[in-house]
Amino acid sequence: MQGANYSLDRRTLLQRTGAATSIAGLAAIAGCIDDSNGDGDDEFVVTQGEFATTVDPNDHNDSPTYNVLDQVYEPLWDITSDGELEPRIVEEWDHPDDNTMELTVRDDVVFHEGQEMTASDVAYTINRAVDEDVGIVSEQADRYPGVTGAEAEDDTTVLVEHESVASLVEFNLATVATVVSEEWMEDQDQPANEELNGTGPYQVEEYTPDQDIIYTAFDDYWGDVPDIDRVRYRAASEASTRVSELETGESDLIVNVPPTDTAGIDELDDADIRTVTSLRNIFLVMPNDDEPFDSQEFRQAMNYAVDVDSIIDNVLDGFGAPSSQPLPEGVFGYNDELDPYPHDPEEAEALVEESGYEDVEITLESPEGRYLNDTEVAETAAQQIDQLDNVSCDFQIVDFESLTESSLDGDPSTSPDFFLIGWGNPTYDGDYGLTPWFVEGQASYNFMDDDIEEMITESQSVDDPDEREELLQEINAELYEAAPWVFLHREESIYGIRSDVDWEPRADESIFLDEMQR
Amino acid sequence: MSLAKFLIKRTLQGIFVVWGVVTITFGLRAIAPGDPVDLIVDPATSPEIRQQVREDMGLDQPLLIQYIEYLQGILVGDLGFSYQSRRDVTTMVIERVPATLELAIAATIVAIVIAIPLGVISATRRHQPSDYSATMFSLVGISTPNFWLGIMLILVLSVQFGVFPVSERPVGFVEAVTVLVTTGYFNDLITWFRHMTLPALTLGTYFTALITRLTRSGMVDELGKPYVTATEAKGLPSVLIRYKHVLRNTMIPIITVLGLQLGTLIGGAVITEWVFDWPGLGTRLINALYAGDWPVIQGVLIFIGIGFVVINIVVDSLYAYLNPRVVDE
Repeated sequence: MQGANYSLDRRTLLQRTGAATSIAGLAAIAGCIDDSNGDGDDEFVVTQGEFATTVDPNDHNDSPTYNVLDQVYEPLWDITSDGELEPRIVEEWDHPDDNTMELTVRDDVVFHEGQEMTASDVAYTINRAVDEDVGIVSEQADRYPGVTGAEAEDDTTVLVEHESVASLVEFNLATVATVVSEEWMEDQDQPANEELNGTGPYQVEEYTPDQDIIYTAFDDYWGDVPDIDRVRYRAASEASTRVSELETGESDLIVNVPPTDTAGIDELDDADIRTVTSLRNIFLVMPNDDEPFDSQEFRQAMNYAVDVDSIIDNVLDGFGAPSSQPLPEGVFGYNDELDPYPHDPEEAEALVEESGYEDVEITLESPEGRYLNDTEVAETAAQQIDQLDNVSCDFQIVDFESLTESSLDGDPSTSPDFFLIGWGNPTYDGDYGLTPWFVEGQASYNFMDDDIEEMITESQSVDDPDEREELLQEINAELYEAAPWVFLHREESIYGIRSDVDWEPRADESIFLDEMQR
Repeated sequence: MSLAKFLIKRTLQGIFVVWGVVTITFGLRAIAPGDPVDLIVDPATSPEIRQQVREDMGLDQPLLIQYIEYLQGILVGDLGFSYQSRRDVTTMVIERVPATLELAIAATIVAIVIAIPLGVISATRRHQPSDYSATMFSLVGISTPNFWLGIMLILVLSVQFGVFPVSERPVGFVEAVTVLVTTGYFNDLITWFRHMTLPALTLGTYFTALITRLTRSGMVDELGKPYVTATEAKGLPSVLIRYKHVLRNTMIPIITVLGLQLGTLIGGAVITEWVFDWPGLGTRLINALYAGDWPVIQGVLIFIGIGFVVINIVVDSLYAYLNPRVVDE
């Protein structure tokens, strides 16, 4: 055997040394800092698809912003995941007469910047939303139905004046009236977009607008101090990035996991998928101002033509639940006696014939990326309708902004003939799911039916909760027959989370970090 | 024409271009579908409140008045307020500039460090395996979509091997260097480097491939010239000939492309920033596009337009300085 030559020339030596140094450097960089964000290991990171659009708690109306701000700002009372009202800043409330609510606020609540919370702050918060002269034109104003104003009677008593029934006001105040300090707020530019000062279980440590916000537990919180001490909220718009962050440990809770990624996350040792059927209905709107949707038979035929179970199984990977009426299950006024329309193409064809609109051509319009697999859902529904012998159905993607401009302007004649949209019910009260869509003058008004409109208006003045619930259920039954929409499904909220966190997602899409145990 | 006159002419042309960008983006906003009020308030909001918001934002004014007021605002650095967050758009744009600049410069550095040696090797070892490899790399680099490459880098280097983090920019370069200089603490700089690596590689790959091809073709041209034969005849070492003489002559067109590509990188980092959740102008633009937040869209586009114009003026000035004949032409 010939002896090996182990001598190295200068060039080879330099090459090998350089390569070794590079590898060692890379390894050192990878290993020398365990925490990739440069933050503490005990930090709990929540990554949403979108960050808060503002930090003024009275000046927004979207879920991602509620989720970020709900840790800092507290409502008067809360709605539990079962839809029950639970005292929070307000210890108890009463109704001295039909148009007044008397609130008794806690006397041990302080704001993060040290101000003591009084009844005056609560009254100011309500007035700030319903009275534009107080500070801002709040887009939450319509979520205070019938509330005309509030006044502090003493340090712990607030009188709220309202024109609608008490139970309706109670449900709505639970989701929007997050209390701000009057003294502090009046010193801010309006709306208050730069700083936060609430009474909630977390206070702000650092806030970078549109990027992230770091919270720490508030030691002087009147309730139980949260188990998770430090939290960071951020956003990553790209879903695969959020999933990768969970996989690498950079994030501990991610929202809106794509159905196709759920199996991969479930296989991880330290993370899992948690889901809940949300209070958001997805449906196909059929404004009845024009042919062929002015025919009840034709609208019912569309419901029979679409195979919702197949869409849920095949397009949504099983993530969703079929719906039968405008209100989702769990909302006050939901009618559990109504079953979803079955898939029956023959019945659909017969009804089309009965309507007199045989061989009609229609087009279904859908936004893209707004809801879970929205275009695929709409395209499949359009194909199923198109398979009827006597209807031809096309499909078209439209920009969401132009869709809302034309369909949510309160005028059915400007709406597309047939379109997909979603509607959440965060107040847990049926009025929020009915009034905007079926009462003239409301932005989403797309279905003209005087009887139904009258019933809804009547429900707003029925004091007895049982009687009101019965009336709302009756309205749902009427709407089931009237078929203003093709009732599709309730959207599923899909989360990826560290396995050691004790937390169940809520149907209203809210995330309260102080409820988590680790 | 003197250099000063040349620069004044270029600057005036630049101002005209920026005015064009401002006008076109304003026109796009005017013809874009969707009512801005829908972005400011919830669709379910009553018509009275919607009208109030319309008046508050000046959206009830005639288009010409809105345009004139917008131009007046730009002259004093006021780009209006975001429909979505109500924040000052000028601040929203400026606060994102450092992240995008860092990424563009880092991608350029990645391109220079990899592409020039690769191009030189490819040119000097023509038709050898190293040349074919470099050519193949260039082809793949130019053909690979940023979006796909970014996700693949994340899956391999972050998820699989855990070498680099997936996303974010926890610390800026200037901030990290300041900490290093003032306290001697270098972890911030390492954190910055680790977070910057994958986005810079993703954004820089196309650029690297482009410069590699430019370097190779330039070097091949230069290597065939008589002065190279003369220097070889003089007995100069081949490394000296390649890097000191040939590469220097090849660099002139490469520097031009580098300058212009920096502008493209600033505007074209949108997808890379989106994949890595990099808080730069790209993510700001794409989020604003999704939300239909026109004041922000306009602000970012105008800033990118100004960036292009400034870089072009700088490149033209350098050209004029290095080659005075350009001024006369």
